[in-house]
Amino acid sequence: MDPEARSMSSTTNIHVAGQEHRELLQLVSFHIGGEEFGLDILRVQEIIRIQELTRVPNSPPFVDGVINLRGKVIPVIALRKRFGLEELPHDKQTRIVVIEVKGTVLGFIVDSVSEVLRIPASTVEPPPRLGKVEREYVYGVGKLDNRLLILLDVDRLMADSDDFSSAASA
Amino acid sequence: MENDLSQDPGIVQDFLAESEELLQGMDQDMVSLESKSEDADLLNRIFRALHTIKGTSGFLGFDPIVKLSHRAEDVLNDLRRGSIKLNRRIIDALLQTRDQLSRMLADISHGGLKQYKTDALLTELQAVQRPDASDSKDAAASEAPAKLPTPRQPDAPNADTASAQKKAPAETTADVAAATMRVDVRKLDELINLIGELVLERNRLVRLSSDLTLGRTKAGQLEEALTHSTARLSFITEELQTAGLKTRMVPIDSVFRKFPRLVRDIAHSLNKEVDLVVRGEETELDKTMVELVGDPLVHLVRNSLDHGLEMPDVRVAAGKPRKGTIRLEASQEGDQIVISVSDDGAGIDSDRVLRKAIEKGIVSAERAKVLTQREIMDFIFLPGFSTAEKANNLSGRGVGMDVVRSNLKRMNGTIALQSHLGTGTAVLLRLPLTLAILPVLLVEIADEVYALPLRSVLRTAKIRDNDVHRVEANEVLRLHGETLPLLRPDRIFPTRAKTKRDMQKKAVILTVGGRQLAVLVDHLVGQESTVIKPLGSYLHNCSSVAGATISGDGRVRLVLDPAGLLAMAQGNALNEVIQ
Repeated sequence: MDPEARSMSSTTNIHVAGQEHRELLQLVSFHIGGEEFGLDILRVQEIIRIQELTRVPNSPPFVDGVINLRGKVIPVIALRKRFGLEELPHDKQTRIVVIEVKGTVLGFIVDSVSEVLRIPASTVEPPPRLGKVEREYVYGVGKLDNRLLILLDVDRLMADSDDFSSAASA
Repeated sequence: MENDLSQDPGIVQDFLAESEELLQGMDQDMVSLESKSEDADLLNRIFRALHTIKGTSGFLGFDPIVKLSHRAEDVLNDLRRGSIKLNRRIIDALLQTRDQLSRMLADISHGGLKQYKTDALLTELQAVQRPDASDSKDAAASEAPAKLPTPRQPDAPNADTASAQKKAPAETTADVAAATMRVDVRKLDELINLIGELVLERNRLVRLSSDLTLGRTKAGQLEEALTHSTARLSFITEELQTAGLKTRMVPIDSVFRKFPRLVRDIAHSLNKEVDLVVRGEETELDKTMVELVGDPLVHLVRNSLDHGLEMPDVRVAAGKPRKGTIRLEASQEGDQIVISVSDDGAGIDSDRVLRKAIEKGIVSAERAKVLTQREIMDFIFLPGFSTAEKANNLSGRGVGMDVVRSNLKRMNGTIALQSHLGTGTAVLLRLPLTLAILPVLLVEIADEVYALPLRSVLRTAKIRDNDVHRVEANEVLRLHGETLPLLRPDRIFPTRAKTKRDMQKKAVILTVGGRQLAVLVDHLVGQESTVIKPLGSYLHNCSSVAGATISGDGRVRLVLDPAGLLAMAQGNALNEVIQ
């Protein structure tokens, strides 16, 4: 290990049997509209195939519908729509990523889920200048070889939706 | 101060549950005692309850409780011996003691006893034991504010919102018992019996299956045995479902019994005279409902006391008995529980309500002319609507009735209000027996199946194009001489497919709080008993949807909310103006 890396990662090192490991982020990566996104694996409860949604009248615009997750009814949010991208018909690759946000279980529809990745925490950089809105939901950009992963901050994504829904109902 | 036993959560939990129950009873008994001071039974019952609490507290080492209840016991003892005579001051002191005990119990359940300033109360308990002390403080209290913090001022000055009411000390211990409940052993026995039958039926199926594997059964026999078994199984599951739900049913008495005290305290603070008549307290409903219905009832009773009942002099002048009457009644009608709160007070002046509504711009003066009495009364339920000239501690801020209504909506209940100027007001609450199981009518609208709560469905009808008429911006359905507001959900709901308009020849007539609404549907699918599930926090604002159920094929079906649909049919103009 070169001295520079040692000093850079010294605060995040963990010691296992005398060996040094740099802190790794475990991410579930998925695609939406050509971009690759990453979500902390610990936040993801499960990934399921797309199923038929039941749409809810008068629901907040970003909620696409509800599904039955083993007897529990959970809202599903199309991230494409949330990010202002064109909506596409669901296909064989479409997945629902099930996440718990502030005590509520919900699903995000994504174009496809690719893999579980490990990236060193040190490669995560603050988000570059994206659109103003997008930037708020992104806590960083991770690098793996020459791939760029946009790391989503789901809490903020949904916190914003709270205002959204209360504003819509008021 | 507290000994080892007090560290045993099981023992403490039992003590808290028992004591809370005793205190609840005491509350009621003490208020009755005020009007029936000669009743030795009542006095003995209060004494026994207090003694039990004292005994167990001593055993567990909760000394402050022992000290306080001991003093109160002394007072009760003197009353029993007749050495002092009961008066309002004594009752006040005893009620304060009760409230203090209740607070202490709440503290125990939230971690442990704290430091209490009970000296004033202890002194007062001692003071009332002197025969000559009688009522002197009572007279003083009516002129100047009492020295002691008055017992439980349910409407303490800061009770300006519904949330503040919830914090009233009387309810602090309610959550102690909320997580546990007492169930009649007979109900449990029934449950166990049914489980026994279920096991027998399972055994029969297991044998059938093994017979089949070993080739010992003929096809004909198998069919008969299977038919028999499934029939038995479905019978047992249904019974089991009912029995299971029954264990959750508690008498509404647990809500009703806090009212004598509440009414007494409020009446005293308003200088009004009132009799509270409670009927049907044995009526049972689901525990969740019992917990939810408490706040709305408190609000309604408070309204009756504050706005409904007139001051004694005014009543006499109007030729009414000096003492007003508030009736709190519960009964079961089919699969519904009906609770009514009525008073023989001044009634609601519908003209004034209407004036206010016009003033606030909720209706135009034009439209106001054609409103029915019922429609006018409905304004009362709008958020922010109050006819009170001036808000006081009790009511008049206009936060009340819409909260009552939204609480009821959460319980799938309805509310109706009847009032006659000069003779009184009655509010009728209708609640389903349980929240768990809902019989529904399944309908298809724009290729999507929705469920409508069956209890709101009056009938279904086939309609023709010329039954539909237009009144101003809204469509109405004329059917058998009746005119009903009409809703075409497919025009409002998200649709999967293009609707075939020509197929919409069926209407479901719903009734909501006495009003009717026709909903156009494509098909009637059938009836079903379903388990209703909440939609979760992101969707709780969807007014036309009450929840969801899961169909046989695993898909989610929405349960529509008739009240929300009615609001949709009338256009949400009313609500928008207010908000």
